[in-house]
Amino acid sequence: MIRIKRIFDRLRPHFGKSGRFSGLSPAYEAIESVFFPKLRPVQVSPMVRDSLDVKRYMMLVIVALMPHYAFGLFNVGYQSQLASGLSPQFWPSIRIGLKTVLPLVVVVYAAGFAWEALFAGIRKHPMSEGVLVTCALFPLTLPPTLPLWQAALGISFGIVIGKEIFGGTGRNFLNPALTGRAFLYFAYPAQNSGDTVWTVIQSGGAVTADAVSGATPLALAAAVEKGQDVHMALESAGYGLMKMAFGLYPGSIGGTATLLAAMGAVFLVTLGIANYRIIAGCIIGMLGTALLINLAKTGESLPYLSLNPFHHLVMGGAMFAFAYMATDPVSSAHMQGARWVFGMGIGSLTVLIRVFNPAFPEGVGLAVLFMNLFAPLLDQIEINLRLKRRIRNV
Amino acid sequence: MMQTLRHIKGFRLNMSGKPAPEIDPLKDPQTLGILPDRISHITPRLLVKEGDMVNIGSLLFVDKQNPDFKFRSPGGGRIEEIRFGRRRRIREIVIRRDHQERFERFERLDAGQIKTASREKIVSLLQEGGLWPLIRELPFRNIARPGSNPKGILVSLGSGEPFHPDPSAYLRDQEDLFNVGIESLKRLSVPVDIIVPKEVFPVPDWAIPYCRYAVEGGYPAGDPGLFLYHMKQSAEENLMWYVAGQDVLLIAELLSTGCYPIRKIMVVAGDAAGNPRHLVTRIGSPLAHIAGHDPGEGPVRIITGGIFTGYSDTEQHHVGYYESGLTMVFERKEPEFLSLFKPGLDKPTYSRAFLSRIKTGGLRFDSDYHGEERACIGCGYCAEVCPVRILPQFTFKAILAKEIDEALAHGLLDCTECGLCSYVCPSKIDLTEMMKQTRAGLFKELERR
Repeated sequence: MIRIKRIFDRLRPHFGKSGRFSGLSPAYEAIESVFFPKLRPVQVSPMVRDSLDVKRYMMLVIVALMPHYAFGLFNVGYQSQLASGLSPQFWPSIRIGLKTVLPLVVVVYAAGFAWEALFAGIRKHPMSEGVLVTCALFPLTLPPTLPLWQAALGISFGIVIGKEIFGGTGRNFLNPALTGRAFLYFAYPAQNSGDTVWTVIQSGGAVTADAVSGATPLALAAAVEKGQDVHMALESAGYGLMKMAFGLYPGSIGGTATLLAAMGAVFLVTLGIANYRIIAGCIIGMLGTALLINLAKTGESLPYLSLNPFHHLVMGGAMFAFAYMATDPVSSAHMQGARWVFGMGIGSLTVLIRVFNPAFPEGVGLAVLFMNLFAPLLDQIEINLRLKRRIRNV
Repeated sequence: MMQTLRHIKGFRLNMSGKPAPEIDPLKDPQTLGILPDRISHITPRLLVKEGDMVNIGSLLFVDKQNPDFKFRSPGGGRIEEIRFGRRRRIREIVIRRDHQERFERFERLDAGQIKTASREKIVSLLQEGGLWPLIRELPFRNIARPGSNPKGILVSLGSGEPFHPDPSAYLRDQEDLFNVGIESLKRLSVPVDIIVPKEVFPVPDWAIPYCRYAVEGGYPAGDPGLFLYHMKQSAEENLMWYVAGQDVLLIAELLSTGCYPIRKIMVVAGDAAGNPRHLVTRIGSPLAHIAGHDPGEGPVRIITGGIFTGYSDTEQHHVGYYESGLTMVFERKEPEFLSLFKPGLDKPTYSRAFLSRIKTGGLRFDSDYHGEERACIGCGYCAEVCPVRILPQFTFKAILAKEIDEALAHGLLDCTECGLCSYVCPSKIDLTEMMKQTRAGLFKELERR
């Protein structure tokens, strides 16, 4: 500990006002304060303050994401080994996973941190911790085959356009990670959608044509033709309810693990970081809408309409987005009642986009962004209702 | 008949260093002081200068707007020093005590006379005796304007804030005096309701019939503003007067003896207090005198008043006009290495982000922000903890945008200035201070009109 302190003591002058790297001082301070939080004696009442700060708040979200990274490393490698006709053993899978995921994470963090440091330096503000969460979330939503430059471009768009131009963390109204993801989706559809982007193919294996078609359950369900049964189609492709809950199938790097996301949600709600109203609202909205669609379908309609609500819940990245994206405190609704509506809107829109929009197999990201836009309106409605009940005191 | 009022919000905190219930008498100090700067909503006009001789109860200063708001000397002797703060604000008047202190004499009433006295009589006696400022007015918490017509007077026996004297300590054997105080308050306005936070303090048996309302819940249960917020039926009830429990005894002492009261029960507590206990000491004692020995574990922060509403001063200063508690906490010396990643079994928090939530023993507080200032992230803790259901996370933005009407609609004037929103904020925004200053500015504007 003393050794680390000495390193910082030696570096500090270079980042000071007259130092060589004075422009980078927010970045330096952000790193130093992780090891040695700055002392700030309170000068205005109340004279004592809570131990919780934004740093810890954000750090806990990153902790909750760690199992997804562990899962993602394995799954990326596992699917790659399978599709390349190699043996899907644990260590080789992990090796391939590391080789694929680690560069993405490093590139995303480097780009995100650079933008945040740049804006903090220009504004002479301290760096905000939000960027660390954004950079932790973003890679988990990406297809593993994504070119690194696209990952860098995506996170840059998310952080600059989704956040910094509005003033940084706390002043953005869209979830920056999803903004970046949506940008990539629309700008580079070839590398971000379709059946082939979700699995890394290695050369040298005994590749079979059958193994390569790594269609995701979402794509499969949308492609089922009239007269067929959607559940049968999924089942015959190997997508049972349990398999989808565990998430061991081709998909985004960490987003398919529905059970892990549910555990993460419980963890964050228990610690008071995520709001249970949003997550519960999402689930209710999703199950409710799926059920309504089930009831509304006729013989003429697409088989996707008859998909069991619980299949919707475990398929794709829905639960991942509910647990980590929808609950982003900044871009979600802030009032307790509005949070329910906000969640329900996300759940419901996700199902609607999935079922009625063949162009978008996964709708949850767009649903969250869409509801982000409505969150201030929902808040305003609830505040107005609440103020009406208040006895005036002017 | 006692009524129980439930308020669900608020904060039950778990702080070590609780004061022992025994009351120690303390020797009289060498100097006494009064702090005009700490009396909100007044502009003091000095009537003495350095070197003047004063008696106990001599006039020291008055309010410029209302010269009837008089402030009198807590001791007899020579004015040793008048300390000024920034922009020539009068911070402190220091009096060096004589061995033989003399009292100024004021008119006294016996119990029968108090029962039949007119409102004007009591008002003028209290104003003349320098204790009128103990009665304050909601919603602004200014000194009560004698001309206003309050809907009643609330006597609060504490709010559960760490640490203030325990009512069971200052009411012990004081039934007659307390009764006199309540009778005189009844001359000013009725009803006079006594409110007590239910869980925190026991009151002596004789006082139970007096207590109309018990407020259940965490801090600030028992605060007059919180009580009014939950009880009021219409906007007319917003105007109320309130007095602190121990101040009722001071008022009674002044009226029944004709002497300016000079002693009250104070408390010295907190982790950094060598011997947390109750004390009976002179009003306006120096902080060092009350604080006693330094336990020697490093720099100590002395908070006068409670930890949420009090202010901090150095040891050379004196206890203010309204204050009766000293809470001493340690100042953090060294940053804690990698504290971000620790489970935090010893870190006090309102949130659930530290393991300390499962601990039942007292926790050690210190006077650090525990983090840097950030933009609001909308976590909503402030709205959760606000006892009068303001939405601080929206109200502070209205204030920053100078939308005062909107802030008022949110309930800015119901704000009890309890400090909880600032306390819980993970972005370390000084919400309470912002509200306080806006309220003070508004008061000034209304008064000028």
